[in-house]
Amino acid sequence: MRNINVRIARIVTAFCSLLIGTAAMAQTPAEQPAGQEGQDEGQLVVDVTGGQRAALPIAVPYMPTPQAADTAAGNTEALGRQVADIVATDLRNSGLFTPIGPGGLQPVSFPQVTAPNFPYYSTTGAQNLVQGFVQANGNGSITVGCYLYDVAARTELTRQGYVVQPRDWRRAAHRCADTIYSRLTGEGAYFDTRIVYVSETGPARRRVKRLAIMDYDGANHRFLTNGQFTVLTPRFAPNQQTITFMTYEGDRPRVMLYELDSGQTRPLVQQPHMTFAPRYSPDSRYIIFSMAMNGNTDLYRVPVSGGTPQRLTNTPGIDTGGSYSPDGRQIVFESDRSGSQQLYVMNADGSNQRRISFGGGGYATPVWSPRGDLIAFTRTGGFRIGVMSPSGSGERMLTSGGAEGPTWAPNGRAVMFTRGLSSGQLWYVDVASGTTRRVPTPLGGSDPAWSPLRD
Amino acid sequence: MDRAEATGFGVAVVGHVALLAAIALGLFHATVPPQPQDAIEVSFAEDVALTSSSPTPMAQPPAPSDAPELGAPEEAAPAPAPVPTPTPQPTPREAAPAPARERAPPQPQAREQPKANPRTTRETRDRRRPEEARNGRGERNRGTRLADLNLDGLGRDPSPSRAQASPGATMSTQAAANIAQAIARQVQPCADRQVYPGPGAERIVTSISLRLNRDGSLAGRPRVGTQRGLDDENRRYAERVADLAVRSFVECAPLRGLPQELYDVPRGWSNFTMNYRMPG
Repeated sequence: MRNINVRIARIVTAFCSLLIGTAAMAQTPAEQPAGQEGQDEGQLVVDVTGGQRAALPIAVPYMPTPQAADTAAGNTEALGRQVADIVATDLRNSGLFTPIGPGGLQPVSFPQVTAPNFPYYSTTGAQNLVQGFVQANGNGSITVGCYLYDVAARTELTRQGYVVQPRDWRRAAHRCADTIYSRLTGEGAYFDTRIVYVSETGPARRRVKRLAIMDYDGANHRFLTNGQFTVLTPRFAPNQQTITFMTYEGDRPRVMLYELDSGQTRPLVQQPHMTFAPRYSPDSRYIIFSMAMNGNTDLYRVPVSGGTPQRLTNTPGIDTGGSYSPDGRQIVFESDRSGSQQLYVMNADGSNQRRISFGGGGYATPVWSPRGDLIAFTRTGGFRIGVMSPSGSGERMLTSGGAEGPTWAPNGRAVMFTRGLSSGQLWYVDVASGTTRRVPTPLGGSDPAWSPLRD
Repeated sequence: MDRAEATGFGVAVVGHVALLAAIALGLFHATVPPQPQDAIEVSFAEDVALTSSSPTPMAQPPAPSDAPELGAPEEAAPAPAPVPTPTPQPTPREAAPAPARERAPPQPQAREQPKANPRTTRETRDRRRPEEARNGRGERNRGTRLADLNLDGLGRDPSPSRAQASPGATMSTQAAANIAQAIARQVQPCADRQVYPGPGAERIVTSISLRLNRDGSLAGRPRVGTQRGLDDENRRYAERVADLAVRSFVECAPLRGLPQELYDVPRGWSNFTMNYRMPG
């Protein structure tokens, strides 16, 4: 009985110690309250929390010209209207802005470009204002001025001027919109970019697939191949000098390189085996691709200039769809080694392969975001575009069904993809807000690849 | 099991049964707690009133000010532009007359007034008609003491005090909380209009320093101070959120209805800090 008492006493003591310890832990000071750090103790402090998830109303009036003059692209007065139209359209396309104007707004005189009529714009409901001008220079070039204002604070937020040849007036407008977008969202720019994609026409059994390139908004469209051979999976080189793609030339799938300046095409590797799914390394020096050899498909790496491919994977099954992380140290790819298509990440030399996706239905076409924070993919069960972190966490879907083949905008905020597996349309989605826009193409389109921001 | 253990076991069983019975009976008589009334709006203040709202108490009332009518103390009206007198002064040997005398010829109403209190200084007394005695905003000047009027029944005992401040003109913790709430209420509609830039922006807390005039308008451009909560994901939105913090205030300025007596006291609203963040 005495032993029992001693034991009970020990238990009670231990329990009390535990309680005391817990209380002591509870009294350990937590982190410094965030609200008071660095503030004057003797000053009144007001806390305000507010905001909304909506498109930003922004006024974009027509841009005046100091003196109307004819240029190779038309009169500067007309160009001022067209530039404002493009700026407003770009901002609207992003899904983050609700442009007011250009039509319906008061005309802006040239002196008002730098001295806006703020009281008037505050009546329009606009929070910000874009003004600018188009001016013909003596040497045949034009200057597009671009100014961003805060209507309520009555301050200028940023200004840029672009001196371009008249034929590049659309680029000047896109760069103006890029300036506005970056300043007001904090994101990188993406309007002054191009898209390379597969243009499709004709019946399903005799589909003609041509390589085509255009501005991100569908303008300046042109074909790069004549449709004699089917092409697939075009990719832009980060240095924008070449495009790699797969062609069925000679009924043998193989990876080709297209030089944008010269228009010449050549095979990436001189191999008798089937090669496909190419993609550039971030420094544009290497291309990672898949090659089927001896009944097994693995990932290989080869210099853009040519050479002997270096094998990166060697497991049984199909390893394909490789995509580099922006720092070039890792590669995400898809593999059916587990029995279904899943995503894997490995080091750039092929070591440390690990699976990151575990959902049913399969995952395909992974693409690492230029920011490095997300991997976009096609969920093959239902064909939806989704994103997840490089560790595989935080998976979420961006689109409804019938979508595939994601490609990132250079700012890592938007993803373009193919919608409609039979008809083929190009769409893009804002990753944060989920708003989608269709990219106009003259014919059907698929397999888009977004270029980096143009120099 | 020996006898002692059996006894103990029996006692324990009986005790448990009794406890269960007591709980069961208690449940039968359980009363439904009264439903809470409509929610009462409360505000949280980080400090409680540990300091006196009147740390310099005075036994004497503040010194009186003179004006034709009673009213709250106000700022003096700006001096009117001097008007040349229509006729020269008859006595050139006299010292230069005070500006108040130069401004206008004596009005009949002033003469009809009873003799002025000899203790008041003639040079500082406004001798214009009451309707002319207006401050810069076109309102009548008002004082805390009736001057030049002998009104029976009204106390005219002068206070010996020379203090001009109101005894309570110190920012108490409660007053500070009230003013902070009043400011936040006025800024809130404009804060709600600001557009969320992107994921993680809700973690950024931006402090801006504000200087206000007495009329509630901005005395200078808001100064963006520290930003907290920045990380790799949301750093790109730092400048934009700072813009939005400034916009939140500027769009709703000037502020109205803030107590004048707490304008430039310590922790007054002439200078304050606003912490702005977006909702998560």
